[in-house]
Amino acid sequence: MTKTTKKVRLSRKTSQSFLGISLILMVVSTIVLYFYVSNLLQDEVEEALFSTEARIETALKSNYAPFDLPPIVEIGTVAVLGVEKIKDTIIYDPSQDEMEEFRELTSFKEINGKNYRITVRDLVVESENILMAVVVSYITIILSVFVFLFYFSKARNQKLWQPFFTNLEKMKRFSLTSDKPIGLMDSEILEFHELNKEIKTLTGKVKSDYLNLKQFTENVSHELQTPLAIIQAKIENIINGDDLNDIQYGHLTSIQKDIQRLTQMNKRLTLLTKIENKQFLNIEKVSLAELMGETIQSFHEISVTEIKYHRKDDMWTKMDSYLAEVLCTNLLSNAIKHNTGESDIEIVVEDGRLSISNHGTKPLTHPENLYTRFYRESEAEKSTGLGLAIVKRICVLYGFLIRYEFAEGRHVFSVTVE
Amino acid sequence: MKILIAEDEIALQQSIVTYLEKDGNVCEVASDYNDAIYKVDLYDYDLIILDINLATGSGLDVLKKLKKENKEAGVIIISANNSLDDKLDGLDLGADDYITKPFHLAELNSRIKAVLRRGKFGGDDTITFNEISVDTKSRTAYVNGKAMALTRKEYDLLVFFMTNQGRVLSKEIIAEHLWGDNSDLADNFDFIYVHVNNLRKKLTGEGAKYIKTAYGSGYKFIED
Repeated sequence: MTKTTKKVRLSRKTSQSFLGISLILMVVSTIVLYFYVSNLLQDEVEEALFSTEARIETALKSNYAPFDLPPIVEIGTVAVLGVEKIKDTIIYDPSQDEMEEFRELTSFKEINGKNYRITVRDLVVESENILMAVVVSYITIILSVFVFLFYFSKARNQKLWQPFFTNLEKMKRFSLTSDKPIGLMDSEILEFHELNKEIKTLTGKVKSDYLNLKQFTENVSHELQTPLAIIQAKIENIINGDDLNDIQYGHLTSIQKDIQRLTQMNKRLTLLTKIENKQFLNIEKVSLAELMGETIQSFHEISVTEIKYHRKDDMWTKMDSYLAEVLCTNLLSNAIKHNTGESDIEIVVEDGRLSISNHGTKPLTHPENLYTRFYRESEAEKSTGLGLAIVKRICVLYGFLIRYEFAEGRHVFSVTVE
Repeated sequence: MKILIAEDEIALQQSIVTYLEKDGNVCEVASDYNDAIYKVDLYDYDLIILDINLATGSGLDVLKKLKKENKEAGVIIISANNSLDDKLDGLDLGADDYITKPFHLAELNSRIKAVLRRGKFGGDDTITFNEISVDTKSRTAYVNGKAMALTRKEYDLLVFFMTNQGRVLSKEIIAEHLWGDNSDLADNFDFIYVHVNNLRKKLTGEGAKYIKTAYGSGYKFIED
């Protein structure tokens, strides 16, 4: 047993993985971009700080008076020179009335004999803002790419896969019994072309096998008729020849019975093949209720089984008149053959449904095999094992619904006409 | 009667000949298409039994030739093919009857007699046997000119017996003649016994006792 998994469409599967990979890429590249951009900005700010500091130093050397421009520039004198350092600091910025992050460069210089401490600061773009900018621009780009790609690839895929889907539909409709070839749509795509070629070969092979098998059944049935005819004719001549004793006569008539069984089997096999070949085209309006009545009448002379017939509907349908007859005969003869005890057979026709029931001791052990050729539930030797297979075929041919159930000690077959 | 049997299976052909010659018929045989064409060209027959699938050609072509030359022979087609189309083709071309292999010789014989009765030459709608006569047109049987009240099956049975005089007819053959394909339904052939017995009673009531039992379970229509 292979594990069955949930089936998804190819286009969905591919776009799903496309989306997944895009998402991962987006997250990773956002992180990278964030660090890159913030580094770049920091470098830029620092460069500006150093440059400002250098200018201030030059100005001080040229004897400009020290000035302050908090928080951007602060110049003070100190006793001892410190170590130059650069750091982040948060300072209240009155112009914006909020705490702002600044980059701060503090350097100590001895200029004209005085020790100066020069602090320059510059506003830093906050990291959230960078991140925000990156993500927003990214999302905008990606969304537009998605939308574009989605429609583009949808249209493209549709065109690209069209031969595939067309052929898939054709294969779904492919029928062994139809004599038309599968007729696949060709494609410029090599893989599709190869697939088509393989399918054509495969269906061709299956079809020819099926035809061979059918032909074989037909031939066997046909070829058997002549030898059977010879045996039967010879037996008749023996019976009519010189005096036989009763035992010999008994054997000969028993052979006659077997020949008849073979003949019946042959006829039914041929009939099955013909139904499958759709060779019954004499479509007429027939009343199954009427036909059933006639069938009961003719069976009455052969069988002692009592048949109760309740006809509440005419059950008109359109089908081959011969097959209609076969349908009634086979259903009824099946009921008669498998009826147990002295009980009667009941046939009801109402609301477009014909149901026929006979008495039985127990439900069928394998009802699923009921319509299989040569399947016999009981050892009733009278049966050829083909009657119900024929009934099923006829029902399939005309779209009738056939059902079997075991209820209240009776086997019930019902045929429902659309 | 002069009968041509065109059948390429020699064993079957000879069996038919054996059966038919017992009734005093003159039988000739043709074992292939050319033989059949040659013989129907040269001779006149009362009846031709024609296999559709002759070894070297189609029996239907022989039939066409017969009809083209306005031969008066009755034709019964035998075929291994139980298809309605074949049957209709044969009957459309002017065959008088159609029988599918395998068949009982008694059944074939009964059909031959029926075709000959309808035949243009010496055709007679009545079958006579001593005091019994059957008018096949009105489907009535008479004993000494007095009409008998027979059911449909009893009438069929009587005609079957009279056309196969002196032959042993097993219950199987009778059942198949009367009920065709449905005859395999019956558990035993008691119902044959009932029908034969009723017919027998009606006949002996009128003084005709020709239906004898053969080998305990078969029947034979024969002179005392």
